[in-house]
This record gives sequence, structure tokens and C-alpha cells, in this order.
Amino acid sequence: MIMRPLARALDDRLRLSPITRRALAKIFPDHWSFMLGEIALYSFITLILTGVYLTLFFDASSADRVYHGSYAPLDGTTTSAAYASTVRLSWDVRAGLLIRQTHHWAALAFVAAIVLHLSRIFFTGAFRKPREINWLIGVTMLALALANGFTGYSMPDDLLSGLGLRILTSVVESIPVIGTWLVTLALGGEFPSDDMIPRMFITHVLLVPAVLVALVSLHLGILVRQKHSQFPGPGRTEHNVVGSRLWPGYTLRTLALFAWVLAVLFALGGLVQINPVWLYGPFAPAESTSPAQPDWYIAWGDGALRLFPAWEFRIAGYLVPAPFFPGVVLGGLSFAALYLWPFIERWRTGDHQPHQLLDRPRNHPVRLGIGVGALTFYVALVVAAGDDILARLLRVPLYDLLALFRVLVLVLPILAGILAFLIARALRRSEAASLGGLTRADLRQATRPGPRHPVGEDEPEAPTLHRPGERIELWPEGELWRWRYRNEAGQLTLTNNRAVTSEEEAVETAGLAYPGVDRIVVPGPPPPPPPGRMRTALRRWSRAAAAASLLVSLLLERRRRGGDQGPQPSDPAESGSPTADEHVRPGGRP
Amino acid sequence: MRRPRALTLPTPHPRRALAVGSVLALAVGPVALAPAPAPTPAPTPSASTPTANRGTQLYLEQCASCHGPQGQGSQQGPSLIDVGPASVDFQLSTGRMPLSHETQQAGRRPPVFSAEEISALVGHVASFGGGPQIPQVRPGDVVSGRDLFAANCAPCHGAAGSGAVLTNGWTAPPLYDSTAVQVAEAVRVGPGLMPAFPSQVLTDRQVDDLTSYVRQLRSERLDRGGGSLARLGPLAEGLVGWVVVLGLLVGAVRWLGRRAGE
Repeated sequence: MIMRPLARALDDRLRLSPITRRALAKIFPDHWSFMLGEIALYSFITLILTGVYLTLFFDASSADRVYHGSYAPLDGTTTSAAYASTVRLSWDVRAGLLIRQTHHWAALAFVAAIVLHLSRIFFTGAFRKPREINWLIGVTMLALALANGFTGYSMPDDLLSGLGLRILTSVVESIPVIGTWLVTLALGGEFPSDDMIPRMFITHVLLVPAVLVALVSLHLGILVRQKHSQFPGPGRTEHNVVGSRLWPGYTLRTLALFAWVLAVLFALGGLVQINPVWLYGPFAPAESTSPAQPDWYIAWGDGALRLFPAWEFRIAGYLVPAPFFPGVVLGGLSFAALYLWPFIERWRTGDHQPHQLLDRPRNHPVRLGIGVGALTFYVALVVAAGDDILARLLRVPLYDLLALFRVLVLVLPILAGILAFLIARALRRSEAASLGGLTRADLRQATRPGPRHPVGEDEPEAPTLHRPGERIELWPEGELWRWRYRNEAGQLTLTNNRAVTSEEEAVETAGLAYPGVDRIVVPGPPPPPPPGRMRTALRRWSRAAAAASLLVSLLLERRRRGGDQGPQPSDPAESGSPTADEHVRPGGRP
Repeated sequence: MRRPRALTLPTPHPRRALAVGSVLALAVGPVALAPAPAPTPAPTPSASTPTANRGTQLYLEQCASCHGPQGQGSQQGPSLIDVGPASVDFQLSTGRMPLSHETQQAGRRPPVFSAEEISALVGHVASFGGGPQIPQVRPGDVVSGRDLFAANCAPCHGAAGSGAVLTNGWTAPPLYDSTAVQVAEAVRVGPGLMPAFPSQVLTDRQVDDLTSYVRQLRSERLDRGGGSLARLGPLAEGLVGWVVVLGLLVGAVRWLGRRAGE
């Protein structure tokens, strides 16, 4: 009621309606995997909302502070202000612990959702031209998410995170020549410095989030500009997007997801304890705790540090310490490989075409094999970071487990990669619908090299000149022309939701969306779908009833006026068809 | 590294042993009830009281096969001379001794002996001489206890007291089931790989503080945030994050996608 005049007033001043109309008509594919990135987006929003609350109570300072509060074992202890305020936040601030835990769970979910989203993009080839920029932005956001997760984990200045920070500074120090300089530069002195918590704080709450917000906006802006990619399927081509419009269909769905994210994260924040810093105690350089791990998204680095042998050597008189390879080189190589992957693949395949249609993962066995191998490698490293917990649960000596992991981390990825490669090849050759549809013969066949370019792989989408059972129907609608795509076999009808002004234009747009499909002009509005038996009967009845009532009213009129006047000229108003415009389908699908 | 598994007595079953013993006693008659003849002529200094008799008897039945009739030790078990009452009480009351088979590190079990039997055994082993007495534990100050715990105990037992692995298959056990006296005994004695903290290192007062804090660590009120995940730390949390959070959210996303009529 208020909205309409308000919208009109705004539109009068800002001329928003063309932009809004286009924005609301943006098409989102319906496949569920396109919403994985949105889990990350909504986790990020949850992080910002809860993080703002936390900044109201967190005191980012290394200065001494005497803690007084409900947690008895620390009451009266002198700790850093950061630690004291975190414990106060957890025990004495209303909803403080709920928000803090939700923030931490949201951080775990944020990175996990990014990894899932990245895997989906990787395995379906969505990073190919024209989407390399968004891939680079996405990988940058992953790196920033890891960095921000680590600073957030370290800021409370508790014993566990202090150990992690100590390890990280040691890793940076292990860079030959410049390492110690870098650490001094970053911390403003030696570890633990008075400056490190304020610096981490400003990085955590301002710098990185600001960059992340900018990159998220850019990521989404490019996505809108480039339009969504989509899986191949009936009616889906390189030139259209099939799915739901932003308003109203997709808006509802994405808001539902937002509600889900909030619900799950707050439920975990309230029910499952995470990072109980009061139990760990304040950081003191002489103390330590065990078992000690970082959060899972950093744990692959920890696992690598645990597994890598203590090799040290000198190059030109400079020591290359042992943490350099697992810490710096592995991390650097991982992100370099992620950044470069689209370009490496383009160079290997020589595929310079833009792609709007996604690959099915099975259609690229090599990519699938490499991806699965890499994921297995990092998962094995994360598990290796928990070797002490595993050793305790399995009652195995720690060093035996360590030796086993040294082998597994190298062997498992290769095995998993080869297995994925073979399964993908078997699936592609046998055209089985799923993994369960594979026979042993398919698998055996997959181990043999097949034809160089099997059907369906990387074929440039040459428009087939004759596509049986498919046709484009065009018809004039008043001044305008409309068209639709029909697939008799698939029983599919997609009506273009935008009318054009001329027949030529309609032919052109239809040809762009469905190249090679025969076009016919249907006279007048195309036949509406045959009405059901019930509707036909109703229509017939209504006509009969209308005619009868007309007849009756005519007779009554005649009798009332008596016989003195002549018969009235009857107005044979034909009762029109009650269902007029059935053929115009309200289209979720253009 | 490990010694070859030795033949030991069948599983010590105190009640069955007791039952067999009493049946035998009834069968043999009052002669067997006479206090004097122990199976080996061990010098038992205070063999006159019934408690000491009980201790001697239990020791010979349950302990002597490994630790030797005079506590001198053997191939299967260490010497008990100079270990002292605190150590014996700790090992017996936590169920670590007697062992049914030889292991590197005995774990916590329900105690095999009753409190009286334990004190009898403690008395008997104490007669071998030496070692710290069972500490008297009083309520202490948890703030000081937390400090001491972080400095001395957390590196192995974990700051949250959840325990952790050490090298060569040894573990530092979780502390949640230990009584105050057991904690104080372990501090003084240093069982297994654990270092001993004699009174020159930690005063009685400090041990009281420490035990008070350790006793408080087991309290679920310290898990203010909800389910504690066994206080295993970030990797357990990460696992929950993936399985529960991402599991639910991906499930939600699939549901939403299916409802879209995909």
C-alpha cells in the first residue's frame, strides 16, 4: 500500500524501473550445485553480523589486564587485555558466547563452502573462458578467507592459538634471507610482540573484510554481466540460460537458504562448544598444550610440517631450514597451481573457445583425476595434522602412524586420482547414468586407451543443421512478434518472454538461441493446448446457460412491456470464451 | 623394546580366589585358619594384626608372581622396594594393578580390590621400606591451581585435561576420572613417563591447589558452550563443521534445488 507510491516516487526521481526490471528478470539455473557459493556468501554475512557484535566487547591489546568475572579459575589473574576480554565475552556478556561460537562455526563453514564451490567450479570446467577472472577472484578470496580465519583464531591470545602463531612465525622465518625481516616487519618486533594483536585485529576486522566485500561484489557483478553457466540439457545452449527468474522464484529460494545458514550456524553456536579459550588459558611463551591443532583449513599446513622430514641444507652459505618446504613452498605451490589452472588447461588442450555450457565431470577424466588426487592429498594432510589424536584413538604408537602417513600422503592421491580417471572414462564410454550402472566390463575397458577423441568431448558446438523433432514457432501478436521453442520428443515448450517488433528480429533472436533449428511461422496465436474434458463440458454448459438466460430475460421483458410495443431487437451478445489467453504461459523459463 | 610376554598367573579374580580360599579353609578345618604359615617364609615384620595378614596374603596371591615375594622385582615386574604407599595406592585404586597380562602402559580400570584390601596391600608393600606417603588433600585455590597446571601438566595432559599421546606408544591419560588423592599421588610419585614432583618442587599447599583445579576441570559447567566434543580441539570441531554444518546446508541446497523442479 505504501510501497507502490514510494516505488513510483523513487522511480520518478531515479528512473529505477528499467534497471530493476532487468535485475529481477535475471535467470538463475535451478541445479542445486549453483547454490554452494551462496552458502559461502551467507556464512560471510553471518560472520560480519556476529563479528560486529564481538568488536563491541573485544579489547585488542596486549596490555596487562586483571580478569575479574564468573570464570573462577582465572578470577584475579593478570592476562593480556585481549584474552581477558575474550573470557569476559564468553562468561559475562549476555549472548556473548553464543555469538562468539556462531562466529567461529560460521568461519569454518565459510571456508568449507568456498572449497565445495571451488570444487564444483573446477570439476565442471566453469573456470574456462570467459570466466577466468572470476576464478582468479575466487582463489584470492579463498586465500583471504584462510588468512582472516587464522588471525581471528589467534586474536584471543589463548595458549592454543599462541602455539599456532608461534609455528606460523617460525614458518615465515624459515624463508631464507628475508624471513626474519618479514616477521619483524609484520609483528613490529620479535614474537610475541606487543603490536601483534592490534595489528591482527585491524587486519581481521577492517582490511581483509573490506577487500573481501569488494571482491564478493566484483565476483557477483561479473557473474551478472557474464550470466550464469549451465549444465547441458534439452533446450540449453551456449546462447541461453534456463532456470528461474530472480523475482519471485529465485528470491524466495535464496532467502530460504539464508535462513537455513543462519539457523544451522546459530544452532551449532548454541549447542556445540568451539574453541573454549578459558580452558586453554592465556598464552605464555614457556607453556604449551596438547593435542594442539589449528582450525581445519590451516591444518593441511600443520600436517605437512609434521610429515616433512627434518632436512636442512645451505645454499651459498644461507641456511634453508626444514619448515621452508612444507610451510612456504607447499603453500605457495598450492595457490600458484590454483591460480594458474585455467591457463595450464587452456595451454594443454588448446581450447580457446568461450564456454557457457558446463562439462559433466566424467567428460574430462584427466581433470577429474588431477582434482580428486589433489583433494585426497590435502585431506590426507589434514588428517595427518591429527596424528596425535588418531594415535590415541587407535592405540598405535605415534611415530608408527607418522611413518604410515608419510607413505599414504604420497600414495593415496595417486591411487585416488587413477581410480577417478578410470571411473570417469568408464562412465563416459559406457554412458551409464551413475556409478552403480557400471559393469566390470566397462571398468576393464576403461583401462585400455580408447579412440583419441571420443564422442562428446570438447566438440565445438557445431549447430546441426537438422534437428528432428525440434522447431521454432513464430507468430505475430498484435504489433509484436513472439516465438517459442518446441521439442516434440522431449515434450518441451519454452516461450520466449520478450516480444520483438518485427519478424526479422524474432528470426534473429531465435536463431541465436537455437541455431540450426527449423523455424516456422504459425498463423495467429498458436493453438492453445486442447482443453480438458471437464473444461469443454463446462464451457458448453456455460454457453447453453447464457443463451438460455438471454432467452428467458428476453421473454420476460416482452411480457412485462405487454403486447403494445413491438418486439425488441434482441442483442445476441455471444458469451465469450471464459478462458481467453491460455496460451500465454507465465514463464519461469524464457 | 618390549619384553617377551611372560606366563603369568591366570586372571586374578579376587572374589573367586576368596571363595576358593574359604572353601578350602572350611575343608581343611581350623588348622588352616591359624594365622601363621604363609606359603613362603617371608619376613613380615608386623604379621601380628589381621590387616597385615590380609595384606601379606593378598600380596602373595596377586602381586608376588611378578614383583617377587619380597618385592625385589623379577623379569616380569619392577621392584617395589622404596616405591612407597602413594604409588601402591595410586596403582591399585586406579585399577592399573594387578595386570592380567604384561603391557607397556596399564590403563585405568575399575579397581580390582576393595578399599580395605588396598589399604592392606599398601601396608604390606610399605613394609618393604621408603617412598612417599599417601598425600592428605585439602581444598585449595583453583586460580593458583590453574597456573600450576598450565606450567607443569598441560604440555602432556592438555590444557583442558583431556590427555594426549606421548612418544613410543605412551599416553598421558585424561584426568577427568581421577580423585583428588589419585591426582596428588601421581604428582608425588610420577607413574609411567610422568616426572615426580617432590615437595621441594611443589609444596603440599600447591598440590592442594592443583588437585582442586583438576577436580574442577571435569565439571561440565566448564563446558559452557555446549557439547564439548571430548575437548579434542579444532580438528574435532572441523569434522563437526564439515559433517553437520555443511551436511545440513548442502542437504538444504539440494532440497531447494529439487523443489525448483530440476
